[in-house]
Amino acid sequence: MSDTAGVPAAEATLIDPATYPRKVLFVAGAGRSGTSTMAGLMRIMGMHVPQPEVVADETNPKGFGEPRWAVDHHDRLLKEALVQVSDSRPEAWFETGRVSTREPERITTAQWLDGHFEVSPELVVKDPRLSWFIGLWRVAAIRCGATPVFATMLRPPAEVVGSKQTYYANRLGSAHLAASWLNMLLHTERATRESVADGGRVFVRYGDLLDDWVKTTMHVAETLQLQHVLHCDSEQIRDGHRFVDPGLRRVSQSLEDLQLPPRLHDLTASTWEELNKLADPGGDTPEVHAALDQLREEYVDLYEEAAAISRSSVVAAEQRLKRAGKVGPPPEVTKAADRIPHSVRAKVPPSVRRGLRKMVGRPR
Amino acid sequence: MKASSDGLSNLEGHSEFDIVWPWTRTEGLRPGTTAVLRVKDEAPSLPFVLPPLLRACDHVLVVDNNSTDGTPEVVADTAARAGLDHKLRQASYPFQVARAGAEHLAQPERSVHSLAYFYNWCFAQVTTRYSWKWDGDMVLTTEGEASIGDLGWQVGDVQSIIRVPRHGLYLDSESHGYLDLGLRNAEEWGFPTGPDFVFTKAYEWEIRTTPEHVRSIGLPHGLCVELKYLHGDEFAHWTDPESFATSYRNKRKRREWTVFNALQRGQVLPGVHEITAPDGVHIVDHVTHDWLPRAPRPLAVGLPA
Repeated sequence: MSDTAGVPAAEATLIDPATYPRKVLFVAGAGRSGTSTMAGLMRIMGMHVPQPEVVADETNPKGFGEPRWAVDHHDRLLKEALVQVSDSRPEAWFETGRVSTREPERITTAQWLDGHFEVSPELVVKDPRLSWFIGLWRVAAIRCGATPVFATMLRPPAEVVGSKQTYYANRLGSAHLAASWLNMLLHTERATRESVADGGRVFVRYGDLLDDWVKTTMHVAETLQLQHVLHCDSEQIRDGHRFVDPGLRRVSQSLEDLQLPPRLHDLTASTWEELNKLADPGGDTPEVHAALDQLREEYVDLYEEAAAISRSSVVAAEQRLKRAGKVGPPPEVTKAADRIPHSVRAKVPPSVRRGLRKMVGRPR
Repeated sequence: MKASSDGLSNLEGHSEFDIVWPWTRTEGLRPGTTAVLRVKDEAPSLPFVLPPLLRACDHVLVVDNNSTDGTPEVVADTAARAGLDHKLRQASYPFQVARAGAEHLAQPERSVHSLAYFYNWCFAQVTTRYSWKWDGDMVLTTEGEASIGDLGWQVGDVQSIIRVPRHGLYLDSESHGYLDLGLRNAEEWGFPTGPDFVFTKAYEWEIRTTPEHVRSIGLPHGLCVELKYLHGDEFAHWTDPESFATSYRNKRKRREWTVFNALQRGQVLPGVHEITAPDGVHIVDHVTHDWLPRAPRPLAVGLPA
């Protein structure tokens, strides 16, 4: 049996998007890691980037592949959560997670996604802010009867930081950016681990994408079962070659060049080493997850120590803002003990806690 | 009750069931979450309850309290079938625990028969920094599983309580049931592990202590159902129905009593949805995997004014 174009019916269904199940590919990862290149290639191969997109500029002349609505949505939610795009605080994940539990946000996100599924059954959503809201998008996909899948771009941290470093003139600027990279990647890996409705995930080295995008995107398509990419035509492949510019990898420096504080340097190097394993065939294993769990915990400890040490800077900043009339009255919860992380408080023997409470006149 | 020492001993002198607070142990608390279930004769429900919970949490602790229906075996078998038995731990609490209501009120807080002592003993077995109090008949929907799974790692060291609404699902058969969306009700289920969050005595049951001004967030409706068996004795864990007849605190239990008895009479009350699963699909799977996740939002919960 064949259709009028002479294509056998069984084969015709392979290139008929109406037969494709609903799927949404979320492209995650730190900014300047090749997320635009990945999203752009997926669009060229036929997946739908919800329109309108963020307009290309001189920093990304081939376009961002970012839906304007998603970028604005994330910006608004980040502001509500008091979280920055490059936020190095581990607790920032709870703040964006908390916002993501709000029913109005779940409704809004699912409705937007559902509307674009009317255009195509396979969508690609990318934004450097996306990692903060993976849970929200996962829920939106579930409500749309779609399968969420994830591609996380990996680029050596020294190159990511170097690419952003023009905005920072000193060594500690690098430390902040490296810490933000660690926080982002360690938690993005955790956020994209298999969840009940997911259809899989891949990790892609930016270098691999630039070296051989054909092989790399086919691996992505096969792993995540992206029908448009699996069945794209020759002209789309030609367009892909026109789109990818190996010269995009403009920044090249080593981790040593960043002159990070020793513990941060070691954590960054170890994290990159483990993340790299995820991008190898068969590398997404429980052993690597366990190693990354350990690194995430070490990062949380390092951050809490640094925050405790630099507490005076925060107090001074609060006082400056107060003097300038830019802050309201202090929140109700300002007991000194409440500023100490629970994990640290829990290690204080009860008898000592009782003594401290007595000293400050608190019943408990 | 305050966590004012390394632990608690019980009035009866059962030293093997003394409580050692987990945060006082030298190894400290680990990152992650543990769901704690205290169960008695929940064998029919647990094959639905455990798989999503095992997937969403780092650990699941099931404490059996004198079940006679093979509950511990069902727990072990369910976890093994899901390939997640490495996340499961089982324990047994052999004492008769007071039923909610008058029986509970009469028990001293430090008695092994007290709900407060029982819960403190159960949660003292937790080794992670966050825990979920879970019942042996509560089943997560697909969205609920994803939400609990995400919050489990996001919460980290943040001191926040998490509230989760649940809806009664009254089972008539394997393919037919009634979902009660007539009550807006969310209870506190997620708590940090630590001295500020221990169990103490309240009027009808136990209550968890909290520091003043603690943060609390609530999840949306439609993420969890509580299984009720129309052919079973759903109120056996209460001293008697009079125990929840009067107080505002017991509005959920009163609603359950009203819905349950109405359905027994063949009456479907406002807010209750009669649902039939497609052929070959269990009603619990249908409601939690399809009906609730795909129901129009905002979910219509509560009765019209």
